[in-house]
Amino acid sequence: MKKKLVAALSLLLVIGLLSGCGAAQTKSGDTGSKDAPDIKAIKDRGVLKVGVKVDVPNFGYKDPKTNKIDGFEVDLAKAIAKKILGNAEKVDLQAVTAKTRGPLLDSGEVDIVAATFTINEERKKSYNFSDPYYTDSVGLLVKKAAGYTGLKDLNGKTIGVAQSSTSKKAIKEAADKLGIKVSFLEFNTYPEIKAALDSGRVDAFSVDKSILSGYLDASTVILPDSFSPQEYGIASKKGNDALAKLVNDTVNEMKKSGEIDNLIKKWSLK
Amino acid sequence: MVSPFAWFKWQALIRDWSVFGQGFANTLLAAALALALALGLGIVFGVFGAAPVKLTRVLNRIYVEFIQNTPLVIQVFFLYNGLPHLGVMLPVLVVGVLGVGVYHGAYIAEVVRAGIQSIHRGQLEAGLSQGFSYVGAMRHIILPQAARVVLPPLTNQAVSLVKNTSVLALIAGGDLMYHADSWSSDTLYYGPAYVLVGVLYLIICYPLATLARNLERRAGVSG
Repeated sequence: MKKKLVAALSLLLVIGLLSGCGAAQTKSGDTGSKDAPDIKAIKDRGVLKVGVKVDVPNFGYKDPKTNKIDGFEVDLAKAIAKKILGNAEKVDLQAVTAKTRGPLLDSGEVDIVAATFTINEERKKSYNFSDPYYTDSVGLLVKKAAGYTGLKDLNGKTIGVAQSSTSKKAIKEAADKLGIKVSFLEFNTYPEIKAALDSGRVDAFSVDKSILSGYLDASTVILPDSFSPQEYGIASKKGNDALAKLVNDTVNEMKKSGEIDNLIKKWSLK
Repeated sequence: MVSPFAWFKWQALIRDWSVFGQGFANTLLAAALALALALGLGIVFGVFGAAPVKLTRVLNRIYVEFIQNTPLVIQVFFLYNGLPHLGVMLPVLVVGVLGVGVYHGAYIAEVVRAGIQSIHRGQLEAGLSQGFSYVGAMRHIILPQAARVVLPPLTNQAVSLVKNTSVLALIAGGDLMYHADSWSSDTLYYGPAYVLVGVLYLIICYPLATLARNLERRAGVSG
């Protein structure tokens, strides 16, 4: 008796789920007059879901005092929301990390990602990227006490990098050119790399300079070296091509009108 | 959209198989050493916990309560980033073996203690009356009988120990999970990477569970 009840309930649940999906699909399908389905879905929802960083000061940073996420990329997201929905405040910001931003795009949890996402060929195979809105280069943060003056002093040393960041490749190429050998340890989050630098597990902390500046303190210094400038783009899911185009157009318009430059100044980047 | 499991992503995975091979070897090594450590600690502290001496019972409680009530991640993070501030820089493999071994040692100690206490006290008294020392009676009479009782829960511990070596990924430990994270975050081909990793963990854990089941059968424990 009990078994039958459970079976019946599960069946009901499955049917509910299936019909739920079906209904949603028809809804977005039958009203698609001029908007592409991906844009339409955002308009129907009334809010643009954006993945941003929350641990990168000036780009996407959640202020622990106010609990608000602010930064250059947040402003970009708002500009895009304004373009689609006519209201810059209709953004639903979600914290992403280097590791979660890909899966969140795939699952549709976020529509776009503006999270210090470096454009490269391999990534372009999986996601649509807008034209770059910012160019940053990789830098090195070291302890003052160690007395390093550049990458050349780091022969045989260990460098902490973040997973999903391109700094490993950049530093490796530069080290090869200098004819020195460095090894890498990868960590999940930036604070973990900072902890590893403090405890001496790594000799240098290497990510994009803009991110690095957020971790500068009294005992550390950013070396003057810069490596392989890399471009940040706004990513969206392959298939949501109308959205990708709209995002790209917005970025280019903002570049032309000087708005991007103003934002860069506003957030004192460079 | 491009599927997370698109074929070209699998091809990239096959091309870079050595990355995963290396991680697999490190995970096996860390798991084997940690299991040896956990069994050693578990048996010693398990016997401590069942002993008629107050001091050893107190030691057992301190060890078990402290370890069981703090997260493994914190313990490992402390060994990795905390100890260097005190001047102790352990290699990352040692951190893994020590962290995971000590952690599961506490759970195994509880399993062993419960196993010993499940053997009727008459067995120990009979042993002692025949001239066995306490340690001798433990070793020759109580523990062999307790072993049959503790095999099933012990297997659980061994299997979760293997899986818990994945905390090494957090401290750049070079284990399977670390290499999978690293590779999939470079390429963003996370779909095939984590499927493969799941299968590799299964390849380690399933034979372990099967072996333990066979041992149980031979020891005459049902279920």
